Amino acid sequence: MEVLTAIAIGLTFAAGVFQILRRNMVRAVIGLMMLTNAVTLFLLSTGAYDCDTAAYIGPVVGVRCDALPQALILTAIVISLGMAAVALALLYLNAKRYRVCDSDELTGLKR
Amino acid sequence: MIVYRHLPILPIVLPFLGAVTALVLKQRPRAQVVIALAAMSAALAASLALLVAVRAAQAPLVFQVGGWSAPFGITMVADLTSALFVVMSQVVLLLGVVYAVGSRERCVGYSTFYPLFLFLATGLTGGFLAGDIFNLFVFLELLAISSTVLTAISDDRYGVEAAYKYFFMSQVAAVLLLLAIGALYVSCGTLTMAGLATTIAANPDRALLPVAAALLTAAFMIKSAVFPFHFWQPDFHTAAPTPVSAMLSSVVVKLGVYGFMRLNTLLFVDHAHLLGPLLTGLGIAGILYGGLGAIGTHNLKRMLAYSTLAQVGFVLVGVGWGTPMALAAAIVFAFNHSLAKAAMLMLSGFVASRASVKSAAFEVVTGVGRPLPFAGALFFIGALALAGIPPTNGFIGKLLLFRSALEARQVWALLAIGAAAVLSLIYTMRAFMRIWWQPAADGITTKPYGDRLYAPALLVALVVVLGIASEPLVAVAWEAAQWMAVPELYIGAVGK
Repeated sequence: MEVLTAIAIGLTFAAGVFQILRRNMVRAVIGLMMLTNAVTLFLLSTGAYDCDTAAYIGPVVGVRCDALPQALILTAIVISLGMAAVALALLYLNAKRYRVCDSDELTGLKR
Repeated sequence: MIVYRHLPILPIVLPFLGAVTALVLKQRPRAQVVIALAAMSAALAASLALLVAVRAAQAPLVFQVGGWSAPFGITMVADLTSALFVVMSQVVLLLGVVYAVGSRERCVGYSTFYPLFLFLATGLTGGFLAGDIFNLFVFLELLAISSTVLTAISDDRYGVEAAYKYFFMSQVAAVLLLLAIGALYVSCGTLTMAGLATTIAANPDRALLPVAAALLTAAFMIKSAVFPFHFWQPDFHTAAPTPVSAMLSSVVVKLGVYGFMRLNTLLFVDHAHLLGPLLTGLGIAGILYGGLGAIGTHNLKRMLAYSTLAQVGFVLVGVGWGTPMALAAAIVFAFNHSLAKAAMLMLSGFVASRASVKSAAFEVVTGVGRPLPFAGALFFIGALALAGIPPTNGFIGKLLLFRSALEARQVWALLAIGAAAVLSLIYTMRAFMRIWWQPAADGITTKPYGDRLYAPALLVALVVVLGIASEPLVAVAWEAAQWMAVPELYIGAVGK
């Protein structure tokens, strides 16, 4: 099970990194959001596999899963929400000014 | 009311409360100004009190937020290094607010400017005082958002573009930092810096530790614009509004440098012999790249942004060597550079505000300085500070770095430092001559009004004072470096 999750998280990372490096700004921002999601899943997987019972639910049978990574994830999700909002707002302003979503066109700042 | 034990958290809470109050009083700009000045003054007073208290206690001051004890609670640790950096940033931030109050930028009049500025102050101070890596991440994000939005609302028409580019890179840095946090949690089971230091020192060969170290290094490199990851920096620091740009280029970049200090001296002490040479190499590359890049610019603020690249390279060279003298040199250099760079950027904004078109491009500001001799004198002293010429404080920082280079027997670094000093003289003096000595071209006149000079004048005065009476700062920095050489001091303070 860990192997499958690891492969899935790796694929999400790969997709996110690929998207970040694209020329179209919208796809790049989507890639950023995928990357933050992948990191969130990674954080989840740090606390999910050495234990027998889920973190907050039900009576304990064996070892209870670590709840701290889930607290970290909640904070990270909220922060990435704010970051996604600001990134999309900036993307929208830039696209409106340059009339294209092509990052190669953002050439206003030269030496 | 204000208890001694709350001191580590006061420099964070005061600007935050100021920001929230200023946001609530959005409809009253004069109240916002008063609140911003009051909050930053109070934060400066608190940070000075913190520094005095930490020195008196001879141990780091620790505050557990909410009363929850480590490792589950949020720890704020005021080491001597942190306290010194916090004092440095509060001084520069307060003078940044003073400059903003006296400036004629349109963006300063927006109802969210002062709240965002105070949030930037909160994020920066929290980053220096964080005792927990995840808390550092949260404060870094606050800092990133505040500085991004402040640049996006800049009067400069390319502010939005520069903000977008910076934000993208900053998000990537955040992703890397989160990955590092996950890796550290898996391998060490704790996230407080003291806990990490203890666990890593007990067993330096844990799985995922090299990965975490590499990711942390990459994240801090992006944040402090170290050589290969610096490409966002010239655009961002140029397009930001002048008071914000003065903050970004002087104190915000020091947060990454502070992170490197903690990495080398607290967290990864056993791996420091690998990280150190990397930092030194990147620092030297940054010094040369920044110096040469500054010579090739056509815009005053851009030139100063490239100059920041070079000066941050100096600090990294000191951090990379790792000896107590080199660390003290790095701290003194960072402190002095913040003051000098903030002054220079404010002066460049002043010159741009007096030019007929509000721009810092050289062809627009040539000859603008003729009727402004006081600003010229300030700029000249600031340029001396950047180049490291006595009696300015830049000389003290460079001298300490020279001595630590001699002590560590690094000849190439000495050559690089010397070359960088010459380069910085070249570009600053060229700018000075173009603005203050050359006659203005035909269509260029100096406006009779513009930004006020109180803030840069105070900063330059501090530059000269710290250049002449430098012993207190050097003594505190030396003590801070000694504390950093003994991680048990930090760990012991948090543990109890």
